[in-house]
Amino acid sequence: MKRRFKSFKVIVVVAIYFSCVSILAGCGFKDIDKRVFVTGIGVDPSEKEKGGYKITLKLSLPVASIKSSTGPNYEYLVYEGETLAEAIRILETHTDKVLEFGHTKMIVINEGLLQENIKDFMDYFVRRSDIQLIAWVAAAKPSAESILRVEPAAESAVSSTLINFFGTSGTDSPFITSTFLYEFRRNMLSDGIDAVVPLVEASEDRKELIVNKSLVVKEETKPLELDAEESKYYNTIVNGMSGFSYKAESDDLKLILNMERTKIHYKIIMVDEKPTSINMNVKMVGVIGQSNKNLSLKDLKEYDQIASKAVKKKIIDFLTTVQKENFDPIGFGLRYRSMVLYNKNTISEWRKAYPDLPIDVSVDVELKGTGAIE
Amino acid sequence: MTNLKEKPNPPKLMSELKEQLSPSFDVLLIPLQLEEEAAFLLYLKTAVDGDKLQNMIIKPFFEMKSMQHYASYVQSSPDILEIKSEEKIPLELTKGSVLIAVQHQFFLIDVKKVNTSTVQQTLMEPTVYGPQQALSEDILTNLNIIRHRYKEPTLKIEILELKDKTHNDIAIIYDDQTVKPAILKTIRKRLEGLDSPLIQSAGELQLYLNGKKFTLFPTLMLTERPDRICYNLDAGKVIIMIDGSPHALIAPVVFFDFMVSMEDNYHLFWITSFTLVLRYFGLITCLILPALYVAITSYNPDIFRTELALTVAGSRIGVPYPSFIEVLFMLIFMELLTEASIRLPKAISATATTVGGLILGSAATEAALTSNIMIIIVSAVAISSFVIPINEMSFSIRFCRYILLAFTTFFGTVGFILGFLGILMFLINKESFGEPYLKMYWKSRRSEKGVKSE
Repeated sequence: MKRRFKSFKVIVVVAIYFSCVSILAGCGFKDIDKRVFVTGIGVDPSEKEKGGYKITLKLSLPVASIKSSTGPNYEYLVYEGETLAEAIRILETHTDKVLEFGHTKMIVINEGLLQENIKDFMDYFVRRSDIQLIAWVAAAKPSAESILRVEPAAESAVSSTLINFFGTSGTDSPFITSTFLYEFRRNMLSDGIDAVVPLVEASEDRKELIVNKSLVVKEETKPLELDAEESKYYNTIVNGMSGFSYKAESDDLKLILNMERTKIHYKIIMVDEKPTSINMNVKMVGVIGQSNKNLSLKDLKEYDQIASKAVKKKIIDFLTTVQKENFDPIGFGLRYRSMVLYNKNTISEWRKAYPDLPIDVSVDVELKGTGAIE
Repeated sequence: MTNLKEKPNPPKLMSELKEQLSPSFDVLLIPLQLEEEAAFLLYLKTAVDGDKLQNMIIKPFFEMKSMQHYASYVQSSPDILEIKSEEKIPLELTKGSVLIAVQHQFFLIDVKKVNTSTVQQTLMEPTVYGPQQALSEDILTNLNIIRHRYKEPTLKIEILELKDKTHNDIAIIYDDQTVKPAILKTIRKRLEGLDSPLIQSAGELQLYLNGKKFTLFPTLMLTERPDRICYNLDAGKVIIMIDGSPHALIAPVVFFDFMVSMEDNYHLFWITSFTLVLRYFGLITCLILPALYVAITSYNPDIFRTELALTVAGSRIGVPYPSFIEVLFMLIFMELLTEASIRLPKAISATATTVGGLILGSAATEAALTSNIMIIIVSAVAISSFVIPINEMSFSIRFCRYILLAFTTFFGTVGFILGFLGILMFLINKESFGEPYLKMYWKSRRSEKGVKSE
């Protein structure tokens, strides 16, 4: 028993020590309520000085009770500086809390900045360890700040509408291009593929955000804007995304196809390791979503044909448009590079050949039904 | 009384013994006398069973034809004890034996009275379908229960006597066929090496058998369930019982033994699997959740989803102390509540839980002393710590989470991971009577037992 009493002494001392020490918490301990979450960063060209940047930080403010709060609480910090790092350092002095970039999921860049010096400011995002590489990148029109400042009415207390546009967690539409920061950077830096970012616009009354266009970005070149239709085909080809509205017309028949699955294969045909043509196979499975006539199940094969033809035309249109502008959002060049043995001239050879490369597309649409009960 | 001959003199040994035991009031030295012949009884009145003494010892004396007959009658009693040495006699008397002197011969017969032999209901490890009776506080009754449940001739029971002041019997029970001789040897050695002055319960015995001064995790399992005892006997383990304690000790044990409830054997496969998974989930929850809260809210809030981070931040608005004090404060109150409801009489403990749990909890959040989420975490931790079937392990895990909390408070998420690794390494390094504590038994239960069929 004596032995046990002795160890009690030790325990009592340790307990007193810890209870004293625990009250003496210093200021090094930063709790979650001493941090403020930056959920979006906007980058605009500076209005005052040439070559500078205007940074907009969108801060999500925590709400004490979600049930009683009506809408989201945001605060915006804006500063113009020569570099991003500088501006953000200064912005740290504009708030009483620690800026926490761990939840920065949205990087919005002014459309006008996506021509030159992209590397310059992207470098900052990639280097900061707390901005995660899974952040979404988007181009903004007319300015990043104005886009960040849009607060749609449908937005709920603790959520960020802009983030839900991208990826598959929120809306899931083939018109929306989603690009992660790492994807953007990788595609921009590699030869043979051009990065594509979504273009975010606001409605005229500044109450809604609209994301259905995309920009193909190439360094030192004016970005190519893809309209909604082209964005859709881009997403279909690259991501196999499928959605409602693939229109097919023949004579007086109008069909809107609802695709469920899309499979795309493409090949660069080479002769003597020189690219001669691009061969693309598209296979789609879906149902007819809307039609202006009564359809019969017997004629399904016929509708398949009509649909295939229509989709094929659209895809060729899209591919030749970007090809004409000498952009390669699909990454044909990258595929070519991966197919041939490396030598110094690989990429220059490809660049020479690409603008005139013939593209063969074969589309096979398989309709599962007419979409109606007979 | 007049026709009585003069009182015969008791043998010298008896009067000496009486002298030695006096002045206790209950030492009795009574002569039995029938005509010429006499016998003497020496016993402690408070230790023996009066009825038994009357029927077994005194009555036959007057019914026998001669002293010779009586002597052989006494000699053939099933309760007779061998007199090893004269020094041992007083000890036997205090245990409830009676010393009989017949014709210059001495006999020691066990007529002890036991008031603790009622079998109790299972309290600590209740099951829905399993046996409802636990053990009693009398070792003979307990051994009887075990014999009754495990009718194998290979079941061996060895009795040792403690060297302390209680002189309690200790039983070592094992199945000769399945037990590992090395473990048996270690246990015998440790039991013989015990030198503490007073050991009164199985829990205390367990402390001394541990072999180490400071222990956090139990290396022997304390159980009150006869079915668990038999289950473990079958698995080749050694059971140690001490007189006066309604619990048995099982050695050696591994960590995973503490996560098994006997109920598992009585349910369907998928239900058992589900509850087992649930139990391990509870174990992990109650171990890491408080530390995880500190790690995430104070060091790496980016692990959360954005919505959750904002909610947590929102619920902490106005909370004056940093997260670890908040956690510590709530955990300590929860421990107090648990401790209070254990110690209080059953009738009051329900009130304590209501007042403490419900009122204190909601008032603490109203007063912005803690966040809502903290209350959820503390309740989750409290509930999940009760999921661990063996109470001792539950206590150990409850202690461990403070270690983890301390590490996390000082070193953040890295500290949390290191602390967890440390606990893991500690457990892996641990041994229970030569068996690795955290050994993963990937083998089937059947091959572990070394028998072909269940």
